[in-house]
Formats: sequence, structure tokens, C-alpha cells
Amino acid sequence: MQRLFLIFLAAFLINNILLIRFIGLCPFFGVSSRFETSVGMSMAVVFVMTLATLVCWGVWNFLLDPLGVGEFLYIPAFILVIASLVQFVEMVIRKVSPTLFKAMGIFLPLITTNCAVLAAATESVKPGFWKLSLEYNYGLGEALIYTIGIALGFSMVIIMFAAMRERIEIAPIPRSFKGFPIAFIAAGLSSLAFLGFKGLFGI
Amino acid sequence: MDVGMITKAILILGGVGFILGAVLAIASRIFHVEVDLKVEFIRGVLPGANCGACGYPGCDGLAEAIAKGEALPSACVAGGTEVAKQVAAVMGIEVKEPKVAKKALVRCGGGKGEVSHRYVYDGELDCQMAQQVSRGPSLCSYGCLGLGSCVVACPFGAIIMGEDELPHINWKKCRGCGVCVDACPRGIIALVPENQEIHVLCRSHDKGKAVRSVCKKGCIGCKACEKVCEFDAVHIVDNLAVIDHEKCTNCKKCLEKCPTGCISNLIITHHLHK
Repeated sequence: MQRLFLIFLAAFLINNILLIRFIGLCPFFGVSSRFETSVGMSMAVVFVMTLATLVCWGVWNFLLDPLGVGEFLYIPAFILVIASLVQFVEMVIRKVSPTLFKAMGIFLPLITTNCAVLAAATESVKPGFWKLSLEYNYGLGEALIYTIGIALGFSMVIIMFAAMRERIEIAPIPRSFKGFPIAFIAAGLSSLAFLGFKGLFGI
Repeated sequence: MDVGMITKAILILGGVGFILGAVLAIASRIFHVEVDLKVEFIRGVLPGANCGACGYPGCDGLAEAIAKGEALPSACVAGGTEVAKQVAAVMGIEVKEPKVAKKALVRCGGGKGEVSHRYVYDGELDCQMAQQVSRGPSLCSYGCLGLGSCVVACPFGAIIMGEDELPHINWKKCRGCGVCVDACPRGIIALVPENQEIHVLCRSHDKGKAVRSVCKKGCIGCKACEKVCEFDAVHIVDNLAVIDHEKCTNCKKCLEKCPTGCISNLIITHHLHK
């Protein structure tokens, strides 16, 4: 239990995918300008990351690893699987629930081959890819906890950042800093703040 | 390199790709959703400048709303009568002749040589920036800053900067979307009815003497126009002449009486200034 909690916390806060590792910057800056879109995006990310890890775990453990091709084939294989999966899910949601499709449907293609999703899937599935000062060979449960941690970390930061950017939007800042420049500065400052979590519980 | 390994990798990836492709192809059949062709057609007719004057998120948003019946075919402000007719044709309904189109008007005559400056602004060509430096370089705190933020803002390229350092709006290109109205930090630009010829080209609420000291073209609130008007259409409100467009008959009497020439005939000031 303690190990699961540590894995979650490590993925959620200490190695936050956006602010500490700066992976997935395009959605981070692209959709964080408005609060509603960032919430929709977060929902989609949590959903897709969890699904992607689930499927990739299967692909790795039942296909790539037993056949001995995993070491060099994992990136194309994971991308292929994740992209098709997201496409498929998008079709299903479009048919089954138009409301849900409206809320997060337009974000699904955006994260089809997003680096953050690939990173989350690879790290949680492939042994020895990213070390968190924890012994690294996750079972399915641990892999899921890890990826949910990453996804929730992504959501927390992007929503928090959208709230900040909405306020920045109306603040009297020089024109040359408007838009992305001030957003990058704000992201850098938030990143500094997140560095403070390093060493929490000795992770 | 081991040839067997390469073959194995190709087979695995190809096999996975083939299976996934087949699944997706089948799924696209099973989960097929009818797309409303109306939306596509209406979107094609709309101007596509995404000016947002209709109140919907861009032209796509409006096209969807019209197709659903939430918005009228004439909802596109920028498109005017022509687009409204085309959209109505797509929707299969008749459109009534909409009310008089509105056009943007620069309500300031204080161009180069007319208005005095308190300092030389040498910064970025942006009215908002200039306004932040001690509330603008021009001594008149109501008049045009002449840096052309409206020119940049106009999605239809209808505004050009004149040699008199005042923006000139080409009414043939102006669609009345109102983007320039928001772009002006001093609120000089307004949307006015197209058929209205007489306008007060001044926004200064300062007293006559103060206006005189900074600008040759400003309204001094002398009430000459108010007295000469037979239709009770002009009034001095807070030291500024205001024309009631409902009552004005374009008789041009106030035009002749105005001592500073701030009341203007649009035919002269705008249509010839291209």
C-alpha cells in the first residue's frame, strides 16, 4: 500500500510531467488559455493515458517481451496501438454519447500521439525506463497507479495554469509579453515552486 | 544485424498494424454518424474571418447554430445582406431585407497639424501602449492617437492610415463587425447607420476653451448647431454635440453653422478619402 502511494505521489507531484519534466508542452500551452478547455483536456488525458497504459501493458507483456523484440520496437508499437485505440474510442464515444463527445471529443485527436501519453505508457510498462529511486518492474496495478498519477498531475497543473492565464489575460502587461511569452515565464516560475517537492518522503 | 530479427519485427508490426487497421475500418462502419451537410454549406458561404461579431465562437460556431435553427440566417453581421441571402438559400427559407447596415466611423478630426502634442511618442506603434505612457502623446485626451491599432485589428483590411495620421475606413470594405471599436483604447470608433450622412467627428467633453487650446477641429460646445436644427436632432451633452440619428434628416444646416467644422458630411470625409 505504501509502495503504491509512493508511486502515485512520485508521478503526481515530484516528477510532475508538465512542470518538472516538461513533457507534453504543446497541450500545456495550447489549451490552457481557457478554464473550460483545460478541464475537457484533463478529462481526455486521464482517460487516454489510463487506457493506453492498460493496452500497452498487454502488448509489452504478451507480445513484444516474449518475442524478444521489445527493446527496439517498443516506440513504434506503442504509438501504433495508442493511436488506433484513441481513434476507436473517439468513434465509439461519438456514436454512443454525443454529450461526452462534445466535452472531450475534440481533445482526443490532439493527444492521439502526444508525447506525454507515450511517455506515461512507456514509463509505466517498460522496465528500467525511468527510475524514481524505486525498484522498477511494475505489475499491472502499479503501472496503472503510476499512469493515473501522471495524468492527474497533468490535469492539476493544466487547470491551475489555465486559472492563472485567465488572470494574466486581463493584467496590464507589456504587449511584447502578451500571450505565450508571459505564459512561459509563469510556467518557469511554477516549475521552480514544484522543485520544492523534491525530497518529499525521501523520493 | 540478424535478418531473422528484422523479419520478425516487420511481421509483428505489420501484423499489429493490419489487425488494428481492419478493426478501425469495421468500427467506422458500425459507429458511423451522419454529419449535417448544411453546416458545411453554410460554413462555405460565411466570410470566414472569425471576427466574432455574431456572438458565436467563430464562423464554424455560427454555421452550426444556424443549421440547428438557433441563429437566424442574417446573424452574420460582417456578411450583411448578401451572405444572409445565400445562407437562407441553403436553409431553404426566405430572408426579409434586414435593417440598414452599420459601418464603422472614426469620430475624431484631430489629425496631423490640427491637434497639439505634449511629447513625442517614439515607442511601439500601438495605441494601447501609447495610452499607457502618461495617457498618450496628444494633448487632447479624447482624440485619435494615430498609431493604427484599428488598422491592424480590422479583419477585412478596410482601414488605412491617412496622411493626416487619422485612420480612414473604406465603407465598401467595412462589414460593420465592430472589431476596431474594441481595438481603440479611447473608444473613438463607433458603428453608425450606413445611410446617416451627418456626424460629429469629435469625442471631447472638455470645455470650449480647453478644446480650442489643443485642437482646431474639436467640438467647443457652442450650441450653434443646436439652435439651427429645425428637427430637435442635435443637442449639446457635456460640452459635446450629439446627433440623434432617429430625428436627423441630413439637411446639413448644422454643417454650415459649425465654426470649427467638427460636424462633418461623411460623403466628403470618408468616401472621397480613399
